Amino acid sequence: MSSVGLNWIWQSTRALWVTGKHLFQPYTTEGIRPAESRAPRYRASFALVHNEHGEEACIGCKLCEKICPSDIITVTAGPKSLSEATGKKRGTCEDFVLDLQACIVCELCVQVCPVDAIVMVREQEQPGYSREDLVLTMDKLYANEHDKALYWGSGSALMEMQNPKKEASS
Amino acid sequence: MRTFPARVDPHFDIEEYDPEADLMALNMGPQHPSTHGVFRIKLFLDGETIVKAVGYPGYLHRGVEKLCEKLTYVQITPIFDKHDYVAPMTNEQAVNMAFEKLLGLEVPMRARVLRTILAELQRIASHLLWLGTFTLDIGGTIGGGASLMMYTFREREMILDLFEMLTGCRFHYNTHSPGGNRHDIPEGWETAVKAVLDAIEPRLDEYDALCDNDIFLVRTKDIGVLPPDLALELGQTGPVLRGSGIDHDLRRDAPYHAYDLVNVKVAVDDGCDCLARYRVRVAEMRESLRLVRELLTMIPGGPIIGSKPIKSLVQFKAAKGQVYVGIETPRGELGTYLIGGGDQRGAAPYRLKIRPPSLHAVAAVEYLLPGHMLSDVVTVLGSLDPIMGEVDR
Repeated sequence: MSSVGLNWIWQSTRALWVTGKHLFQPYTTEGIRPAESRAPRYRASFALVHNEHGEEACIGCKLCEKICPSDIITVTAGPKSLSEATGKKRGTCEDFVLDLQACIVCELCVQVCPVDAIVMVREQEQPGYSREDLVLTMDKLYANEHDKALYWGSGSALMEMQNPKKEASS
Repeated sequence: MRTFPARVDPHFDIEEYDPEADLMALNMGPQHPSTHGVFRIKLFLDGETIVKAVGYPGYLHRGVEKLCEKLTYVQITPIFDKHDYVAPMTNEQAVNMAFEKLLGLEVPMRARVLRTILAELQRIASHLLWLGTFTLDIGGTIGGGASLMMYTFREREMILDLFEMLTGCRFHYNTHSPGGNRHDIPEGWETAVKAVLDAIEPRLDEYDALCDNDIFLVRTKDIGVLPPDLALELGQTGPVLRGSGIDHDLRRDAPYHAYDLVNVKVAVDDGCDCLARYRVRVAEMRESLRLVRELLTMIPGGPIIGSKPIKSLVQFKAAKGQVYVGIETPRGELGTYLIGGGDQRGAAPYRLKIRPPSLHAVAAVEYLLPGHMLSDVVTVLGSLDPIMGEVDR
């Protein structure tokens, strides 16, 4: 085992110089960064969106419920009805519950959505006082569409990024 | 030829060993900040000297392997982020490479180069976290051990910001899928990576200046000597093995991803002690910086995924078959042994066995600790760099 030598003065001076250099540098940043400073792809929470006709986009196909690794999405499909805007028959969603307590933010539900109904938002849910505060009901999810900053993409945007050839040919 | 002290037998019965000795049994952990997770070591102390050490892993067992038998190939990748929570990127790559081998999927060149860059950036981030916590544990840097931890976490945050730009998450990315990557490189990402590399490189010299002092040397030199033959016997891989003087690195010896395009210089140190493992990791950080610089210039165009993008739960189906894939994570060889054909549709693994490098690393503490002082426990354990999420799975 080596013993502490006499060159401690040089070593201390050098180490203190390194640490001292940081004294005057403004490195302290905010603990919770606002969503604007985050990357456009930053994903934190969820929102359900309306489609271009102003209807609720979700058709209740339950693909997101099936693929969720944590089994936190519960979709209750409604009866098929005629869409007023397009005149075509489409599925509806009666209830959509997403339990954020067990969410692992894997983006798979966004990836599989065929109608871009579920997207992610860049602002995190605030901590709550009860467990119900972290359960996103359908009302909260549709409110998130307007209240919070949506992230860059959607299911079709992810598809286009991963498979651009198919998009170009069609 | 260097001679090592006689190997200790960690399994002797403490009563038979010395019935007259007044030994004190001391439990270190599971809730101890320096065990890097929940690891319990039962120490038998003669004064301050350790006579026997028994490690008890298992406090963080989450049943990942069993869970993988229930989930399909599409769902397993985000689960694997959680198993080594300091280097999630390489974990995803390990399990997805096993899937690709079983399913026979070809990964496009763009995705392979991107995966290599991500793996090397993750190696830097993981080693930075290790360096900060290791010096915090031993308090061996002048100016306080905590200041170095602050610096390394600052640089690590830069790399995590790069991952956030690419994937949308600081951690738990889920950016790999069987056959390629899910997220393509965004605009300006390469420039941001270059800026971060330029910022980190001079700071590595600052860390060396902080660690190159007598107190650090006294705390690490000749502490926790792991002879090469014992390292091989215990199945060590990664920096622990290379710190024992054995030149073995899967990136060079069995190239995967795009490692065959670059010339990986493997850092080896035959000091066999904690200082050697420190030197190996710092040298690996510099080598990773160089590799990322080199790879950034050779990102080809083309698709980032070789299969169809994920659209349904049972998209990937495989008949029965078994594969083993081992890749070099920051901690060593992470092996994934996969038997296909699990559920009736063939979309889930029948069995998925993880060979974590950290489990083999913590197995060494019983051999390394006897004869050392109580204060060396955190040094030895820190130098092995175990991640308990990976040990217990």
